[in-house]
Amino acid sequence: MEPQKRHFIIIDDSKLDCFIEEKMVRNTGMSEKITIFQNALEALELIKVRLHPEGLPKTVLLVDIQMPVMNGFEFVEAFEQLPENIQERYIVYIATSSTNENDLSRMRSYKSVVSLMNKPLATKTIIERLSLHYA
Amino acid sequence: MPDRIKILYIDDEANNLLGFKASFRLDYDILIANNTNEAFSHLEKNPDIKIIFCDQRMPDKTGVQFFEDIRGKYPFPIRILITGYTDIESVIEAINRGNIFRYVKKPWTDADIRSCITEADKYYTTHSILAVKNKELQKAYDELDKFAYSVTHDIRRPLVSILGAIEVAQHIDDIHEIREMLNMMQDSVKNLDNFIQSIHDYYNINRGQLQIVVINFDELIQELLETYRITSRINNIQFTTNINRQEDFRSDKMSVKIILNNLISNAFKYQSKNNTEKKVDLSISIVTGIATISVRDNGIGIAQEHIGEIFDLFFRATTEEVGSGFGLYTVKDALIKLNGQIKVDTVLGEGSTFTVTIPNK
Repeated sequence: MEPQKRHFIIIDDSKLDCFIEEKMVRNTGMSEKITIFQNALEALELIKVRLHPEGLPKTVLLVDIQMPVMNGFEFVEAFEQLPENIQERYIVYIATSSTNENDLSRMRSYKSVVSLMNKPLATKTIIERLSLHYA
Repeated sequence: MPDRIKILYIDDEANNLLGFKASFRLDYDILIANNTNEAFSHLEKNPDIKIIFCDQRMPDKTGVQFFEDIRGKYPFPIRILITGYTDIESVIEAINRGNIFRYVKKPWTDADIRSCITEADKYYTTHSILAVKNKELQKAYDELDKFAYSVTHDIRRPLVSILGAIEVAQHIDDIHEIREMLNMMQDSVKNLDNFIQSIHDYYNINRGQLQIVVINFDELIQELLETYRITSRINNIQFTTNINRQEDFRSDKMSVKIILNNLISNAFKYQSKNNTEKKVDLSISIVTGIATISVRDNGIGIAQEHIGEIFDLFFRATTEEVGSGFGLYTVKDALIKLNGQIKVDTVLGEGSTFTVTIPNK
């Protein structure tokens, strides 16, 4: 059976990166809808209210680390403060070009972060991770 | 007189204290203490005490103990013990443990004390210079750490983006979409280039010697008007300048240029997109030995909670525009070198005014 399509949310301050990730996500054929935020704070505000469409499997968040205003760490920390019934609707992936081991291991230590992906993202990686974690 | 060496002398015998003060008060700034409590209160109030002479045999504690007690809290004053031959064992131990610099044997002569003061003063000065150097080195080292971190982020990041875009573009046939991507790739390359240019500016300020010349502000303003002519036309930003020069102003031209460039470039960059009357105003006045440079815009402004951070290296307060997080940090550093000041008045959504004051050299 075809897996059911999902909502994807891309959070990255770089326009070009958002553009690339949108393409990569679209190419997976697994996206019902793609929403893009260049400001993590705006994304968080909407996630608080409701961004996950009813009836779809968990929404995938692709989050960058280095962003002004609210960086990836601050975003994940704020996300983990949200009520459990909101958190459980989302899958958090980190997409980063960072090679800094401190940053990477700190990211891995958050319980809501499912896994880290290197930029540039590849369609194949997204499909593999999703089928690994959420077949 | 601020330059006189400040000395603290501790002894339980009042006669010794008075004798010491009488002999040296003309040449040095002498504080005396009858017991260690008094000595502590002098140390507390006088952080500029350079040398401490202390008698070994006192009723409340020995001089060696006293020096051991104060060493942690007051590490900088040079410690000199005054003692008779009978205490030689404890003196040797104190010297070996690094608690005292010299000892003077009782009864002392003026010449003994004076030579001790001269040596101690030299030692103190060397140590202070070293402490300052160490602080500078630590700052340079911390910055280097930040640099190494930033190289992986701010330089690698646009490259990775472009790499990703190239991969995507290889599977796209639509020429319009390719063009759109090329534009974004071009922006990424420009950002990277700006970033490298800011590193260059930063190092020019930090490593270069100041070259003090008469600053021709009219010429600098003309250059800025020329540089921003196209930007202000395309983005519909009104750029006004005025100058009130009552005297010649001497300073380091490179630093002044970098300060002006960064402030003006920020004022142009952080504009509100929907504002129909975008403005940037540069006012310069040189009056009574001080140049005041004021750059005002009616752009997006800065949130109150970020005002304390905008001068930090690599800090960026907004996602609206692309910045390196370098500009204001470089400005601040340039101003430290010129003994200048900067302040910012800003209201989120209404605009910012940066005011720089630099003393004439």
